Formats: sequence, structure tokens, C-alpha cells
Amino acid sequence: MKLTWRVWVLVFVLSFALMSVLNLPRSYIALVGLLVIAIPVSLTFIKSKNLLILSLILIAVLIILIPLFTFSKGVIVTSVSPSSVAFSEGLRKGMVISEINGMKIKSPADFFNVINSTVEFEGSKKFDIQTTTERVIFLTNTSLDISVANIPKTNLKTGLDLSGGARAMIRPANVSLNSNELSDLVAVTSNRLNVFGISDVNVRPVSDLVGNSFLLIEVAGITPDDLRELVGQQGKFEAKVSNETVFIGGERDITSVCRNDATCAGVENCQKDSSGGYFCNFRFSVYLSESAAKRHAQITQNISLDSSNPKYLSEKLNLILDDKEVDSLFIGAELKGRVTTQIQISGSGKGQTQEDAYNDAKNSMNKLQTILITGSLPYKLEIVKLDSASPSLGKEFTKNLIYLGLIVFVIICSVLFAKYRRIKITLAVILTVLSEALITLGIASLIKWNLDAPSIAGIIAGMGTGVNDQIVIIDESISEEQTSLKGKIKRALFIIVGAFFTIFAAMLPLFWAGAGLLRGFALTTLIGVSVGILVTRPAFADILKKIEE
Amino acid sequence: MDNQNTTQDPELVSENIKKEKNSFFKNFNYNKNYKILLVIPLFLLILSLVYLGIFYFKTGDFIIRDVSLSGGTTLTLNGNIDSTQLESQLKSKLDDVSFRKLSDISSGKNIAFIIESSVPPEELEKIVEDILGFQLKQEDYSVEFSGPSLSDNFYHQLIIALLISFCLMSVVIFFLFRTFVPSIAVIFAAFADLVMTLCLVNLLGIKLSTAGIAAFLMLIGYSVDTDILLTTRALKKSEGTLNQRIFGAFKTGSFMTITALVAVLPAFFIVTGLPDSFRQIFFILSLGLFADLVNTWLTNAGIIKWYCDKKGIK
Repeated sequence: MKLTWRVWVLVFVLSFALMSVLNLPRSYIALVGLLVIAIPVSLTFIKSKNLLILSLILIAVLIILIPLFTFSKGVIVTSVSPSSVAFSEGLRKGMVISEINGMKIKSPADFFNVINSTVEFEGSKKFDIQTTTERVIFLTNTSLDISVANIPKTNLKTGLDLSGGARAMIRPANVSLNSNELSDLVAVTSNRLNVFGISDVNVRPVSDLVGNSFLLIEVAGITPDDLRELVGQQGKFEAKVSNETVFIGGERDITSVCRNDATCAGVENCQKDSSGGYFCNFRFSVYLSESAAKRHAQITQNISLDSSNPKYLSEKLNLILDDKEVDSLFIGAELKGRVTTQIQISGSGKGQTQEDAYNDAKNSMNKLQTILITGSLPYKLEIVKLDSASPSLGKEFTKNLIYLGLIVFVIICSVLFAKYRRIKITLAVILTVLSEALITLGIASLIKWNLDAPSIAGIIAGMGTGVNDQIVIIDESISEEQTSLKGKIKRALFIIVGAFFTIFAAMLPLFWAGAGLLRGFALTTLIGVSVGILVTRPAFADILKKIEE
Repeated sequence: MDNQNTTQDPELVSENIKKEKNSFFKNFNYNKNYKILLVIPLFLLILSLVYLGIFYFKTGDFIIRDVSLSGGTTLTLNGNIDSTQLESQLKSKLDDVSFRKLSDISSGKNIAFIIESSVPPEELEKIVEDILGFQLKQEDYSVEFSGPSLSDNFYHQLIIALLISFCLMSVVIFFLFRTFVPSIAVIFAAFADLVMTLCLVNLLGIKLSTAGIAAFLMLIGYSVDTDILLTTRALKKSEGTLNQRIFGAFKTGSFMTITALVAVLPAFFIVTGLPDSFRQIFFILSLGLFADLVNTWLTNAGIIKWYCDKKGIK
């Protein structure tokens, strides 16, 4: 059996797509690639039928088994807090942890078991983490601040609407930014999210048809409230005593902020409040620069002691964030006029249960620390769009989309078979349409496209166009006309190419309209129809010629 | 089909099955009646245009916009929530609020409850939390918020995109056929598709989202493929009579559209718990496909037939 070059192209593209979709080690990708190529080779060169069937079965079994055995074992690091010890020791997002303290890690559950069962020694825990590339050993007295997940079987990434997370579009209120200022804003925003402890972020400037520019922020695993407070804020932090500014947030006045060290930062004093809920206090130290410390001395110099409570000064230190008072602190009498570089900041959180209150306080502390470290933006921000999706609903959607795909697939198969009553033709259509979808997915994972719901609609619509085009080819070629088969298929291709260009032209404006938020829909459709016209349709026409002969 | 069929195409005679299928069309004289058939879609189109005109006069817009195009918040609460109390309390607290439910395929249980309102998300979250009596966690809900100015902006851009898309499609069609009347026929059919679909969307009271308008762009591309098929078969094929060619194109084209239609139906009747954007795209495409059946095989076919008769193409 000889294959035409068009069918060869299809086989090659298909195997590349498969490899880019599956998350396999490179060496095995090469092996599987060779095996896939072995299929057409054996089809071409092995003449004996029994031998051919045997070799095809062998190749198929190998292709299926190799991925099953070679998916790497362990858990993948999805985020590491940049302020954690693990981070400074070199652990990064994307690494694969295979062993901790000599114990094999096969799932996130294993990971948490080992972490929790590690015994503390003199107030800190020792961790010996073996990743696929390196070994990290460290001691820490706080939580690890690492999140892990099972290693994904594929390289496909789903959009936030299917995987859960939040997306915000922000723009400065009342000012328009040039490209430099916009990239500053990108930097500050990414930094804030990183300092806050989220590394899986995607921050990029986007612009729309009429030239408005926005900042688009996509974060997995964050609540809309957190996102709103982290990126929607100007972050103007001021510490004032009797209306004079002592220091502001940012590196000019603040040299460092104590974070993951229980001796100078933490939540404490959880108590019941009068309304039946709970509240917790937090405190952390900040270290001021020389100039800010001198300013503190100058300002407090002229303040008298509080007559009713002479342990403190009569004026308080007011902490103001974006023109709203966060807290006001007593200033100890001994600090009057002193050049002090260490200041303790405090605040509180509340909630229905003690745990809620603790978490609220911890979260508020983390946000305040973030703002203090990253400093303020020179303008106010406005959130113009905010979407969030819960991971559980996303899972439900993904499951339903897969069900839907299967049902649609079965329906299309039955309709095609009912019409043509020929297994070979039906199979050929189904195989080409499936390979089209697979190639589209392959390209999507190659360009690391996040597949959101509209993108999946685009893939399905592309498959629909595929089926339609195949019907055109079949009907042209089986018509009882006198023209040669070649001529018939040529005419079919004219119709198909015409339809391709119209859908291409029609979807093109979506790349720019609405800040490109619907780009996924246009992109997957266009990839699908382009793959159809360039790879699968020509191959299908050849396969059909073979069947007709 | 006309009665010349049997003499002109001997292969048709030999196939009894085909003969039976064609018997209806034999009794129906397409040559005489195609102009009458042309009146039906024209009437529908005028009706749709009048309806849209009245709709615009009443509401100041051609569509009903959802919060992604008009500004506001959509809050989706996960799980099987007893919503009767929530609904009544929300109605008393907010002026403009609407509700929907999503349910699972296999169990039929409610998986989510959707609240839409024009208030900002912080406010809506707080009101809902107050009624429910607990704080919402990330797992519990999804929120979508669009600021009013941005949504307005998006809306206008998408309309511009729709116009550009239509123009680009027209250019491609003119380039393909390079003759005036057949090209205009295809473009006119696509236009009628859009108008009728929009009319159906409004009649059903569907609120359009950004994804919905994107679906209209796709419809522009999707609906013309049967028109291209028809025009190519009618003009570029030399064998058989014109009627046979049109009928042949109809058999292929309607099968294409019907396959597509049965493929989108499960998204509404079997699998219900799907993302809104996804459902809306599919829904508009299926309405558009219905309109396409009418506009390709009555409007476009009629014009092509008329054109060929005038030009003497047999």
C-alpha cells in the first residue's frame, strides 16, 4: 500500500501534535516519534499482510504503553513564595519533587503527609528535598510556603473560566500612560503579586481597536477581593504623626520588612469580641532608612508626653493607606526624639470563627507588608473589569464539555453513517476531523495558549467546518458526472477554499476587538480551519481517491 | 424538478431509490414557482427588519445586552442552594436583579445559582453574604464584573468588528465569483441570516454577551459556505440541467447544515451545566443555521435561478 505525500504530511503533523500535547520527557518524545513514523514506513515496505498487521499491532501497543510507564513520578511545584526559605535555597515553580527527607513523593497527599509529620527540632524543621534536577536542604521555622500539584499528563492549559482564578483589567483613573509608564505599572503589579506570595501570574498590557490601553492580570487561585486590594490600589502608604509624614511605603524609606520570621512578625491575641465574633491582632517590624529614622526623631522631639498616661506620647502614629486610616499606634515615651530604625506596625482581623479571624488577620498583614515593600504608584487605579471563576465550578464545566464532546462525536458518526452507509468513508471523515482537533490542540499547547470556554467552542466549530467540507468532497466525488475524479475534487476544493477564506476574513476582527478577550475563540477556529485546508483536507481527498478506486 | 429529468439523465432512471426521493420535486415545478418561493424569505426579512425597527424604537438598541456589555455584576454561587429565600430577599434589596440556575447532566441536581445586577461586585457580594449568613470563600462562587464605560466601549468595538467582518466577507465573495449578481446574492443571503437570527434572539429574550456578538461574527463566515457551494455548482458545473445542479447542491448543503444542527442540539437538551459564553456561542450558531436553511435555499437559490434564466445558463 502506497501513501501519497499529502497523507505523509498529515501523519507527520499529527505525530508532532500528539507529542506537543502529551507532557512527556524529551527522550521518550523522540522514541514515540520514531514509532509513529514507523507506521507509514511499514505500510509502504512490508508486503506480506500478516507481517504488516503484526508490526502495526506491535507499534500501537508500544505507543500506548510507553507514555503510561514514562510519565514522571512526583509532584510539580505550582508556586513558591519568594520570601520563603525554600525559594532562597533555589526551589522554583515548575520543578518536580520526587523525594523529601528520604521518602518518595507520588501525590500532593504524600507531600503534605511528609511535611506535617516532620519533627521539629529546636523550633525549626529540616527539609531535604530532592527534585529531578537538584537537591535542596534547609532549616525553617515557618511554614514552607510551597504549593504542589500532580504532574499534568498533558501540556494543555485551560483558561481561568475552567481552571479557577481571577482576571482583572485595570487602568489609571484620569491619566493616560505612555509605553514606559505602562511597563512600570506591569512591573509594580507583578511585584506586588509576587511579594504577596503568588507566582502564577500573567500580567500584560493590552489595547483595543480604538487604542485604549489596559493592564490585564490573570491569576490562578486568588479571590477577587485579594486581587482587587492588591492591584486595584494605588498603595499610597503613609505613617503620620500630628499630620506630618514620618515615612511612606517603598524602598526609599523602608529598608526591609520582617515577614517569615516568627520572632518579629505574626498573628497573636485572638479573642472573642462583643458581638460574638472573633478578632486577632497582627504585628510586624519594619526597618527604616537613616533619613526616615532622623525624620522620626525630629517630629517626635516636639511632642509632649500624654498627661493621663505618661508612658506614651500625646500624639499617635497614624498608618494611612490610600487616604484611609488603617491603624493608629501609641508611641512609647522612650522613643521621643530618638533616631530609631525599627518600628513595629500592627493591625487586626476579624471573623465569625477564631480560624476565620486568624486568616483574616494574616491576610491583612500580608497585604500591608506587600504594599510597604512595593511602594506606591503615582496615580490612582480603576478596575474596569473583574472576573473570577471558582475551581470547583470550572471542574464541573470541564467535565460537561468532555461529555458534550463525546455525545456530539457519536451523533456526527451516526448521521454520517446513516447517510453514506459506508464504514470506510465514515471512518475516513471521523479520523480526519479528529486529527484536525488534535492538531489544533497540539498547536495550542505549543504556543502555550490557555483554552477557555470560547476557545473550546472555536475548536468544535472548526471541527464542524471540517465535517462540512468532507461532505462537500464526498458528494462531489461520488456524483454520477462524467468529469474525471480529479476534476470533481478540484471543484470541491474551490468551494472549500472559498469557505475557508470567508470564515478567516469574518473572524479576523476578533483579534483586536474588546481588548482581545475573545481572541481564543478566533484563534482556535482559525487554527482549525487552516489545519483543515493545509493538511487534513488534501490528505482526505487522497484517501477518498484510494477508497473510490 | 421538471419532467425533462428522465430523458436527460439515464442514470437517474436506473436508480429507483433516487426516483422515489425526487417524486415530490417532480410534481413541484421549480421553473414556474421559484419567484414565489423568493417572496417567502423576503417577507420574513421585511418582517424581521420591521420588528428590529420597533425594538430599536422601544429600547434604544438592537439587542438586549447582558452585564458584560452594559456594565454590572454576575455572581455565580456553586452548589445546590435553596434559592427561594435568597431570591425574595434580593428582590427587596435591589431594583434590578435577575436569577438563573445551572444543573448537572447526570443527576439533574442544581450545580449553581446565578445572580445578575448592575451594582458593583463588592456590594453584591456583601448583600448576598448578609442574606446567607456566612462569608463566601473562593471555592463558593465566581464573579464577573464589567465597568459601565468599558462595557459600552466593548459593545461599540464589537459592533465595528461585526461590520468589518461583514465587509471582509463581501470582499472575499466578490473575489471568488467576480460577477456582480451571484456575489450580491450570497452577501444578501448572509445579511438576511444576521437580521433573522438577531430577530430570533430578541424574540426569545436572550441577553447577549461579548461571546454572543463574537458568535455573530462566526455566523458571517459559517453561513456563506452553503451559498458558495450553491453558486459554484450552479455556475461552474457544466453537466445536468440547472435545476438538477441546484437540487444536487441542496442535497449536499442541507445535509451539511442538518449535521451541524444535530451536533449543536445536545448543548441545549442533554448537557446543561456549561459555561455561559460557550452556550451562547452555540445557541446563536444554531439559530443562525436555521435562518441559513431559509436564506440559502430560498433566497440565494431563487436569485441564482433568476440570474441564470436571464443569462441563458442552462
